[in-house]
Parts: sequence; C-alpha cells; structure tokens
Amino acid sequence: MADVVAAHSIQGTPAARRWFAASLGVAVASLVAVGGFNAWVDPFQQYRIPGPYPARYYTSLHRYIAPGLAKNAAYDTLLSGSSIVENTRNSAIGQSCQGTGLNVAMPALTAAEQSLIVSTALAAKPLKRAILILDFNAFSGAPDQRNPLAGPIPRYFYDRNPLNDLPYLLSWSVLVKSWRIVTGDRSERFRTDSDAPWWWADEKRFARDEVVKRLDPRDLNAQFQQPPRELAGMQESFRRNLLPLMAAHPQTEFVLVWPPYSVVVWADFVQRRQLDVSLDFKRWVFATTRALPNVRVVDLQGVAEITHDLDRYTDLYHFDPAVNEWLIAEACRDRYRVRADNVDALEAELRRQAQTFDPGLLGHP
Amino acid sequence: MLFNSYDYLLWFLPGTLVVFFLLGRRPFAAQVWLTVASLVFYGWWNPWHLPLILGSIAFNFAIAASLRKMARRSVLALGVAANLAVLGVFKYADFFLDNVARIAGDAPPLLHLALPLGISFFTFTQIAYLVDVYRRKAQEPVLANYALFVTFFPHLLAGPILHHSEMMPQFAERTNKRPQWDHLAAGLYLLAIGLVKKVLIADTFAPIADAGFGAPSTLTAPAAWVAVLAYTMQIYFDFSGYTDMALGAARLFNIKMPINFDSPYRARDIRDFWHRWHITLSRFLREYLYIPLGGNRGGEARTAVNLLATFFLGGLWHGAAWTFVIWGLLHGLAMVVCRAWGAFGRPLPRGLGWAITFLFVMTTWVFFRATSLDGALAMLQAMAGMNAAPAASTLAWLSEVQARLGTLLAIPPAWTLVPPAIGLVVVWRRANSNALAMRFRPTLANGAFVALALPVCVLQLARVTPFLYFNF
Repeated sequence: MADVVAAHSIQGTPAARRWFAASLGVAVASLVAVGGFNAWVDPFQQYRIPGPYPARYYTSLHRYIAPGLAKNAAYDTLLSGSSIVENTRNSAIGQSCQGTGLNVAMPALTAAEQSLIVSTALAAKPLKRAILILDFNAFSGAPDQRNPLAGPIPRYFYDRNPLNDLPYLLSWSVLVKSWRIVTGDRSERFRTDSDAPWWWADEKRFARDEVVKRLDPRDLNAQFQQPPRELAGMQESFRRNLLPLMAAHPQTEFVLVWPPYSVVVWADFVQRRQLDVSLDFKRWVFATTRALPNVRVVDLQGVAEITHDLDRYTDLYHFDPAVNEWLIAEACRDRYRVRADNVDALEAELRRQAQTFDPGLLGHP
Repeated sequence: MLFNSYDYLLWFLPGTLVVFFLLGRRPFAAQVWLTVASLVFYGWWNPWHLPLILGSIAFNFAIAASLRKMARRSVLALGVAANLAVLGVFKYADFFLDNVARIAGDAPPLLHLALPLGISFFTFTQIAYLVDVYRRKAQEPVLANYALFVTFFPHLLAGPILHHSEMMPQFAERTNKRPQWDHLAAGLYLLAIGLVKKVLIADTFAPIADAGFGAPSTLTAPAAWVAVLAYTMQIYFDFSGYTDMALGAARLFNIKMPINFDSPYRARDIRDFWHRWHITLSRFLREYLYIPLGGNRGGEARTAVNLLATFFLGGLWHGAAWTFVIWGLLHGLAMVVCRAWGAFGRPLPRGLGWAITFLFVMTTWVFFRATSLDGALAMLQAMAGMNAAPAASTLAWLSEVQARLGTLLAIPPAWTLVPPAIGLVVVWRRANSNALAMRFRPTLANGAFVALALPVCVLQLARVTPFLYFNF
C-alpha cells in the first residue's frame, strides 16, 4: 500500500493522467480536423488544381494564391510582373506565345518577390518561357527590399515543404474562407475567372482626363511618390535576384520586357533627375544578359503611339487591357527586341521623347 | 523562437518533452538533451548569437570555479564587469555614442549591433549567480548543470530571472526526469492560460494602442486615455501571459519557476505595485543593487538616493533610451514619495490609494511605450486635452480602430469594445493565473477550457506578433 501511494506521488494521480490525455487529445483532434478541412478545401490552391470547389481569387491576396498556381496549374509560359500586367488573360499569353499561359502578377512587386515566384514555378516544372516585366521601382532599394504596403509574404507557400504550411492549415481566417466556400457564402471580394484572376480593368476608366486629374505638372511624382534610385543598387538587385535564375535554367527562354509606361513617367524621371540612371540600368541589363542565349530583352518604352496616347491609361503607369494583350504579343515576337545594333538608337529615341515632352501641356480636364 | 508560434507549440515543445522523458532513465542524458534543445530554441532566429551565450556560460562558469576556490572580491568584480561590458556593448553602446554626438557634436559612428535575444536576462541571472557563489550561497561544479540553469528555454528569453538556489535542486532531482501527470496537467493548464492572455487578449489591445501611439498629436483627450489604457492592458497581458507560458512549459518538465506577476494593477501604492509587477526583476534589483548600495540603512536622504539610483538603472535595463530612464526615475521618485508619506502614519483610503497608483502607473507607461521623448510628451499633451484635434475625431479614431479590430477578429465592430471591458474585469476582479494554478484540479471544466483554448489560440497564430519584452 505504501508503495502504491509513493508511486502515485511521483507519477501523479490517474485522474491527472486522464485529464491531460483527454484535454490534449481533444485539442489536437480539433486542430487535425481544422487542418484536414482547410487542406481539403484548399482556398489558396496550394495542393491541387482543380480543387473540390470553384477557385476563388481574393482581392489583395496575390502573394498567397500565386505560388499555388505556379506549383499546380497547367502551363508552360509564365508571366510575372506588377499590377500593370494584372489585366492580362492567361489565354492571351497562350495564344500569343503558342503555349499555355499563367499570369502570376503581384501589385507592388519587387525584384526579390519576382525571383521568389519565378523560382517557385521553375522548381515545380520545366518552363518553355518566362516573361518577366521589368519595373524600375522593383529594383529600388536593397536587393531583398519589399514594399511595406504589399503586406506580409507567406514564404512557406514558396516551397514544397508541407511541414511549414501550418500557418495556412491552422489559420482561423483560412478556416473562415474554407467554410464560406463550402457553404457558398460570397460575402468576400473575389473573382472566379481562372483565365483572368487578377483583372481589375472593369473598375477603372482609361482616359486622358483620368490620368491628368491626379497629376501635378510641377511634381509628377506626387501621386505615386516613388523613391529615388541609384544604379549600383539596381544592378546589385538584378544580379542577386534575376541573373542566377536565367543562368541556372538554360532550357527556359526568359523574355525581359520593359513595359510601356506613359510618357508622363519619363517626364517625371526628367523632373526628378532619374532619367540617366534609368537609361543606364536598361543598357546595363542588356549588356549583362546578351551573353545568355536563353534571354531576350524586349523594349516597348519608346513606342510613342502607345505611350503618348494617354487615353490608354488610367494613371501614368497603368495601361488598358488592349495594351496588355499587345505587350504579350510583342514579348513573344522579335519586333521590339533589343539588339547590339539598335540599343543606342532605342535609348536615344526614348531620351528624346522624355526630354521633349512638356508636362505643362497636360493641362487639367 | 516565439512561445506563440507554430514551431514552438506544435514541434519544439512536444518534441523536446517526449525525448526528455524517453531519456528519463538516464538523467544526465536527459539534462544534456534539454540544454541542447534550449540552445536550438535560442539560436532559432539568429544562430550567430549562439557563440555569445556559449561564451558567456563558459566565462561565468570559470569565474565561479575560481570564486569557489577562493572568494576574491577582485575576481567577482572582473566577472560582473565583464558581464556588464558585454551587455553595454550590445545594448548601450549606440545610446552612449548617440548622446556623445549630441553633446560634443561629433562621435565615432554607431555600431548598429543586433541585440541578442534575452541578453539582459541571462546576464542578470549569471551576475546573481556569481555574487551568490562569492557569498557562499551557491555552487555548481558541473558545467552541464550550470549550462542548463542558464539556458533552460522557458526562462531564457524573457525571464523570470532565476536564482540558482531555486532551480538546481529541481534539475538534480532524478524523479523529475520522468513524466509526472500532476505537473503535466498543471503545466498544460498554465500554458493555455498564458496563450489566451497573449494571443486572445494582449494582441487584441495592440491595434488600439498602436493606433493611438502612432499619431498622438491627432488625439483628443478621451482617445488618448483609451490608447494609454489599451497599452496598460496590453503590456500586462502580454508579459504576464508570456510568463504564464514560461511557467507552464517549465512545469511540464517538472520544474517550478518563481511567479513574476501577482495582479499588479490591484496595488494600493507604488511599493505594493513593485511587489506584484515583474517580481523577479524587483527581487534582483533589491538584492543585488539596492541593498549593496546601502538600502535603507543610511537615513532617509541616503535611502532616497539609493531608490532613485536603483530605479534609474532599472529603467535603463529595460532599454537604451531616455524614455526608459525617465520611466524608471518617475517610479523611483514615486517610491521616495510613498516612503515619505508612509512616515506620516496616515495611510490613504484603500480606493484612493489604488486609484492614484493605477493612474500613476498608467501615465508612466506613456514613457515606456513611446518611441521618443517627443512622442511621449505629445501623448501626455493629448491626455491633458491640449491637442487642437476636433472632438469629433475621437469617434472617428475609435471607429477606425474598431473597424480594424473587427476585421482582425472577424467580429462586428461594435463587439470590439468587449475585449477591453473583459480585460478590466479580469485585471481587477478575477483570480490571477497564480491563484488558478495553485487551486488547479483536473476537472471537466478545466479540461474543457484547455481543449477549447489551445486550438482557438493556435488558429490565431497566423497573426504572430513579437512579445513586447523581447526588446529588453
């Protein structure tokens, strides 16, 4: 009897053991149930496409959904860029580039994030072509710079390790989304068109007066407040984020596209003394990648019939869906390809346009 | 590694516990395992800080060994000075250089050293140990035991600040290497309480406090008071929640650590407050600073100086900024006033004493929370109603916070006033975690609480926020 009492005093009471096992067991079982439910519904398409329910593309959750698409969708041509290419349909990519397209655009994309999503895609499958839209702002700041406005980036989605997916599987907000999907609740903002998951063009007007109304001709940068850049930093960012990808995947064709900002952007660069650094960076990118046979640089920034037609824009950066389609078509053609024999002429023409455009003539609507 | 993270709760803690008990028949192996696991815990964020803590352990163990052979004051002074030097370089060098630059107009460039996690805590723990060895109150001839005492992960990053004498006998106890269901049950219960306090309560106050302290010059007086009250609640639930989780985790390993909080907002005077708030820091400062300075043995004036010096350093310990220094000095001054009032022999009515103490503590938190002196003064100005903000902005500000909170918690905005109300009731009226842990029984109600609280809190972890005390 004394032994039994002594054993209990060391090991604890049977009631405590039962309590511990039952409490922890119920807690763990609850978590397993939630995790299993979230994995099955898979609101961010991380494990399979198609899932058991129609896909939902939530506004502002690009960084959560895009890696799932990159890993699980069927495609051979990837488009990566910032919000300016969100209005590009996957089917348009496929048609223009003779393949199957996937648009993984992200607003306020930085070079580090572009590297992350393209790496995720390349790790998932061999790609025929990766079209990377180069945005000067993406290379501003440190190589690992992120835009604080973009919100957190769920890095655990950008790999194949399911063990680190717990923030997804065991998340209250994901559980709420899963429940809403299963019950058909449509109270959140999302799109269901898998061909154009990020499309926002229907909510904006593309017109000159729309562009001009938010502009201060004396301070063209006032609207977007882009930071100043310096060449060495941009080069380092490109060298760290994109160059290794292109060198490591010779079987994939990389198309680096300089997108057709409105000419107002170039006038802004002149105003802020950012023209030289921008043009120097473009020239350096071409010089750095020309030795790689799997890389083409396409420059659409001097195409005046687009960039001077402000009716095609909703602000100085963002163009309409027709320009998106044109951009993709040109990305897969050679018409605006930068070559050793035209790089000087392209640069001279862009410099001329930038310096001769008078923002004072924009007037106000 | 954060206590409120998936990695800790779902992998590290269960894995460490299971292996620890599997090694239970080999106590030394279990102890080594716990030390290694604690170092993994420490190095999780920045493995480059591991050499620092390992070097610190080796150095202090060597100094202690020397003191054990011969208790020389010079060796103790060397040990304490070296510990303070390391703390000074990592924590205070830039503060010092910045102030030199302000005064002299020129100074060497700032070092910009990353502050190693928990450095204030493991430095103080080891200084206390050296002093105790010198006083012949402690000795630990086995390096593995000493390393576990310093690194034991539940207390490593944010305390409680431990005494060697209260921990080593527990580590040495062989039966503590075997599962003890009473401890496991109580530990799990305490862990769940701490998790609820941190994840469901403190993090709910955070957006209110952050919004207010983010733009104090725009606040009307009521809005400023709401923001400061929110921070008052946040810091208590955050730090005491962290401590509960630490105590709970330690209890799972059959280790009882000292309590660190005892309903501090019920204090009736400032002395009472410091007997209830961050108790192990108060104990350290009293035993290793205030009393060696002379304590209250040199007359009233000398006692006042000692109190101010102790609280000045206590404030500085919390952070290398003038805001912390002012916070410490204000509390030191309050202790002097409290002591002087006590000499009159006319204690304040209980309610009045409590109200004055709570208001003082709450107001001084402004210096603790503000990121600059200007920010603190702006908040005090707002609390005094001296901002030019229109009265309507109070409602606008609250509405905005409510909307943000509502989105965060997935509840209607109107319900967001419920957590602060619950917080106040819990702080003032309900039994605190220590009392709950003391009277814990493996009942159905407690089981239901744990079974519900753990999954609900884990599901909230995706919005992980760092513990406030990791800054100190």
